[in-house]
Amino acid sequence: MLMMPRMRALVAAATLATLAGGSALAQDAVTIKMWTLDNTGYPEFIAQAAEEFKKTHPNVTIEHQTFPGDPYKTGLQVALVGSDGPDVFFNWSGDDAKRLAKDGLALDLTSYADAPGAFGTTVGEGYLDAFRYDGKLYGVPADAVSKYVFYNTAYFAEHKLEVPKTLAELGTLCKAIRAIDPNTVPMPLGNKTRWKAIHWMTMLNERELGVDGTAADYDLSRPADELYTDAGYAKAFQDLLDLQDAGCFEEAPNATDYTVADTMFSSQASPMEFCGSWCISGFETAGFTDVGFFRLPVVDGGRGDAGANFLVPEGFQVSAKTAHPQEAVDWLSFLVSDDQAAKFVEYTKFMPSNPAKIDTVEGVSPLFKELAADVGTFTQGVNVLDVLLDAAVSEAYLNATVEVLNRTMTPDQAVEAIRKVALEAQAKAAS
Amino acid sequence: MSQSPSRMLDRWMSAGMLAPALLLVGVLVLIPSVLAVVGSFYEFGITSQNWVFVGLGNYARAMADPVFWTALKNNIFLIIGSIITQVGLGTLFAALLDRGVRRGNTFYRTIIFMPVIISSIAVAFVWILIFDPNVGPLNAVIKGIGLTPPRLGWLGDPNISLYMLLVIAAWQNVGFQMVLVLAGLQAIPKELYEAAALDGAKGWRAFVHITLPGIRNVLMVGTLICIIGGLKVFDLVFVTTGGGPANATQVIGSYTYLQAFTLGNMGYADALSVILLVVALGFGWLQLTLSRRG
Repeated sequence: MLMMPRMRALVAAATLATLAGGSALAQDAVTIKMWTLDNTGYPEFIAQAAEEFKKTHPNVTIEHQTFPGDPYKTGLQVALVGSDGPDVFFNWSGDDAKRLAKDGLALDLTSYADAPGAFGTTVGEGYLDAFRYDGKLYGVPADAVSKYVFYNTAYFAEHKLEVPKTLAELGTLCKAIRAIDPNTVPMPLGNKTRWKAIHWMTMLNERELGVDGTAADYDLSRPADELYTDAGYAKAFQDLLDLQDAGCFEEAPNATDYTVADTMFSSQASPMEFCGSWCISGFETAGFTDVGFFRLPVVDGGRGDAGANFLVPEGFQVSAKTAHPQEAVDWLSFLVSDDQAAKFVEYTKFMPSNPAKIDTVEGVSPLFKELAADVGTFTQGVNVLDVLLDAAVSEAYLNATVEVLNRTMTPDQAVEAIRKVALEAQAKAAS
Repeated sequence: MSQSPSRMLDRWMSAGMLAPALLLVGVLVLIPSVLAVVGSFYEFGITSQNWVFVGLGNYARAMADPVFWTALKNNIFLIIGSIITQVGLGTLFAALLDRGVRRGNTFYRTIIFMPVIISSIAVAFVWILIFDPNVGPLNAVIKGIGLTPPRLGWLGDPNISLYMLLVIAAWQNVGFQMVLVLAGLQAIPKELYEAAALDGAKGWRAFVHITLPGIRNVLMVGTLICIIGGLKVFDLVFVTTGGGPANATQVIGSYTYLQAFTLGNMGYADALSVILLVVALGFGWLQLTLSRRG
């Protein structure tokens, strides 16, 4: 009997130790490795978010690494196949994200999405759909990028130029600018790395055929004998050539780097540029504030919709190999929460997938707010060809566009070259 | 007959010293090479776990692929062009510095050699700026003297972009070739030229009969370096043109990269690597045979 209190004390001590041990286990340090592009403001945004996240998840440390855009895709694929890849990573919606899902490298997030406070409760369905494949969610949409024709408002006012309403008027506008000064490039293209012109083709295809008119070709579901046979594709290439003939672009667009094109506009050497919503921070950095924008105009007789515009949702995926899926999803959900989405805008000047508090953001230019408001009025988002299409078809489109601009291929030949690769891709997908 | 302890020790020492290098070559060269050969018989993607055996299908695909032939032709063009520009100009500069230039010899040698120590990527970026059709100084100079620069740009015109790559490669590497040849020239005894002069052999005849045989081995080494460089060229193409415009400057290295990492055709990329290896071995054999024949 004398032993009883001691026994009880021992049992109590053991229980406490077990509980303490259990608690320590629950608090085991977790490191979430995160990869993103090296976009302006991203490191600062992630750093402050990681600090905030620590208040509710004291055991979680975010290890953030950034990479330049071009080598990112390659590095990511290699890392995900290997054993030292990131737990969470940036990705564009479209073929790349889909391939990772298909190959079992991206985690299915469907079961996490609708938990209280999780990303499924803060991000709209339209955005979520961008990362949904075969009915399952494979990503957390964080933002979307769009493209507009930005123009120098002071230059337009000085020379009494007006915003064009059709593509033909845009060509006329280019001629008017050349008439003012033949050495002024109206809207530099900068297609050395090929993606600038593919953005043009993305929108020109929409303006000629409409989103519904292209969908079955883009996803290769149209019957083989009809695949890429619509005359609108060649017409879209011809539209690009018409703009080139109107003097819109620089002399050698395929030899001009996009950074040069960006600088030509932000330094006010050129009065227009077809540029992404991400370009706004560059204009602001250059101290250039006399900037307006308009959507790429419609084509006379085209089947496109003036309400449709370029829109590429981007976001984060979770590696299927992560040892901490719950913490990874918690972290991503936190990044798209109301407060952090507002911070995201403040730091990066990107349009967030969760716009709940966008009006409260300080330090954001009126241009950005105006543009973000316009994005909200799109009737349809137009995803970009080099993200959306099968990789081989995308490569064929990129090369064909270069050749059309160089006049080493006619629009018809370009479409025929794309159709040939699309047929091969279709046959391969079916086998 | 057992070996003496000192001999055994020697053997172990030799093996121990060779082991790190063998390990590195094994892990970084031999194993990947074997894996590439194996992979070339399959169709698979970089992120795909599904390997499909296609036998020689990837090699047959290469034979029917016009871009592969363009890339191979470009590699050979760069090899021949590099030999002419780098070995040729290197020899010319070396001869000038050895005999022609009396003052500032070290200065010129340093200037010509300097690009060799600059990173290839940095060199490529500098030349991208020089060639830029809008802000580059080359177009400004061309226009300044009343000429018309190429309409599609130096790196955007499929007819001239490969020549521009040759210019960049020559600018970076001619200094190395010059130093090689200069060392060879300075190793030729002066007495040979004096004796030849007494027999009436000067200038061109002395060059042909004394200088060239004297630096023959150096020129062979220089040529071999150009062949290796021309076959494994990747960074210069990748940074300056990305293989474009529309595959016009594609080389096997950049095309392999495109197939592997952009298009996700890892098996085909392996086959291209193996073909490049076979071509390199062919050039190696040719070079060895020619040098043995003297």
